[in-house]
Amino acid sequence: MNGRAKIDYNTLVKTDRVNSRVYTDPQIFEDELERIFHRGWVFVGHRGEVPNPGDFRLKRIGLQPVIMVRDHAGKVNLLLNRCRHRGAVVCHETRGNARNFRCAYHGWTYKLDGSLAGVPYPEAYDDSFRREEYGLTRVPRVAEYRGFVFGSLSPAGITLEEHLGRAAREIDMFVGLSDAEEIEVSSGINKYDFKANWKLAVENSMDGYHPNVTHESFVSAVMERIKNNPSPEHGAVFDPNSFAAGSYGFAKDLGGGHVMLDYGFRIYDPLNRDPLPPVRAINASGEMHLSDLRRRTSPERAADMLREGGTHTLVFPNLILIGLHMRVVQPLSVDYTEVCLYPTTLKWLTPEVNQIRLRSHEAFFGSASLGGPDDSEIFERIQTAAAADLEPWNIISRGLGKERPDDEGYLYGDMTSEITQRAIWRQWKKMMTQDAGTAATRKRGSRTSTRS
Amino acid sequence: MAVDREKVEQFIYHEARLTDENRYDEWLALWTDDALYWVPCGRDDIDPKREISLIYDDRTRLETRITRLKSGVAHAQEPKSRMRRIVSNIEIEEGANGEITAFANFMLAELRRGVQDIFAGRTIYRLRLVDGAFKLAYKKVLLVNNDEYIDNLTFLI
Repeated sequence: MNGRAKIDYNTLVKTDRVNSRVYTDPQIFEDELERIFHRGWVFVGHRGEVPNPGDFRLKRIGLQPVIMVRDHAGKVNLLLNRCRHRGAVVCHETRGNARNFRCAYHGWTYKLDGSLAGVPYPEAYDDSFRREEYGLTRVPRVAEYRGFVFGSLSPAGITLEEHLGRAAREIDMFVGLSDAEEIEVSSGINKYDFKANWKLAVENSMDGYHPNVTHESFVSAVMERIKNNPSPEHGAVFDPNSFAAGSYGFAKDLGGGHVMLDYGFRIYDPLNRDPLPPVRAINASGEMHLSDLRRRTSPERAADMLREGGTHTLVFPNLILIGLHMRVVQPLSVDYTEVCLYPTTLKWLTPEVNQIRLRSHEAFFGSASLGGPDDSEIFERIQTAAAADLEPWNIISRGLGKERPDDEGYLYGDMTSEITQRAIWRQWKKMMTQDAGTAATRKRGSRTSTRS
Repeated sequence: MAVDREKVEQFIYHEARLTDENRYDEWLALWTDDALYWVPCGRDDIDPKREISLIYDDRTRLETRITRLKSGVAHAQEPKSRMRRIVSNIEIEEGANGEITAFANFMLAELRRGVQDIFAGRTIYRLRLVDGAFKLAYKKVLLVNNDEYIDNLTFLI
């Protein structure tokens, strides 16, 4: 410990309100890294990003740089990007294909599974030097669900299955019942950043109250287009009624900080010029997935889901599934955040449908889109206003007391209910106040001591 | 028919000034009905059928973009960006059907809420003579930073 005062998180987060200090205090940010990002399960990447042996992507768990790489056995490894010799990064490209990772400083070379393949002039080391002790440090726990790769820097804790809980079924909806290797994450990455706290993006992604206001310009522009050209072939309808009080959509608490919005209709704006292509599979596996999905939903809903995405879910703390993209929120400092969007396609869909997925994504998401940048603008306005803390409370009470249980007992409210915000903050407070327990090995300095 | 270089340059400079000054309607009027306004994402030579772009607007989406920017509630452009760009290194080729392809480099200073950003890149234009005047059929902008984190690209690039 560095002698700082302990923060009482119970005084900062109440059922119906949050103190804006949670967005501005560097000490709270440090605690979040330790207790949420280094102790718990964090989404790292999808197998589809590294389809071939040697394919790699640079990632982070908290602030720690990680290489996600597929080895020759098909296994996806998470390796800390730091040479075990004198500590330089061993991989400096953000993505690519490698035969091995060779440190540019003295040439220590690592295999795709992280083991040390060799060092130059090994004869100068004495017999106590054993290569097998100097592989790249592995992320202590790695687990996958349907190709979604999660990591935890803590060697002990709940399983990924326990962590995901009910959210696993929303991952199923997102991937359209595909097999893990049938999801393609090779359509590029939207990268954007903002000068505000990471949690503002997490909250906003599951806020069904804001779209008609924050995105008023998008709603009105799409409405005008529809008025001028009402042909149903000409694109989807954005229904502002769905984001009003009394909407037929709803906001749901899935437990464990995982939450979702369910609007059950088409929201985005596909390729404007062309009629929507019919949804078809191009192989037997696809036929099976498609008929399965049609049976579980309806033929119309299945088509919409495959063109535009099937869920709107936060997998706490850093993975957001909206439409057909995976979104990863990466905190870098208390007031600076990077976000990556990974639009997905499915191998078993026709190229025409996969193209519609990309065009519908572009309309609302990315730095130059007609939607997302307005959210980022709001995050920065909140970060600025947090300095005005004579009255520091932000209110999340909307729909409090009106929650209802669904058939399985999960609580939901109407689309504009802040039940999702309360569920996120409840989990945040739980993790921030949890006993260090298994985190003992994560304390600063203890890792190096095991090596000396 | 020899290409009238001065006329092409004048069109490009005029288009640049309209974007600099957020003159949305006049800028939209430059485009043909089969417009493609394209800013690739990740690298320059992507396949748009398989990969996303930052912008891939046909005429309809271009109109939606402009309607939004004019709404007064496009928050990412309220306040609007103040901009000036230099367009240079212009090269011109005559294409099929009297279309002209022009290539240029640009550098843009963009100021918004007290922060000034620099954008740079290469633009490929396709111009077509319609009733004696050039129209813009295609504009592809290859940003130097198209594989980097970009906070806000909601102005006209």
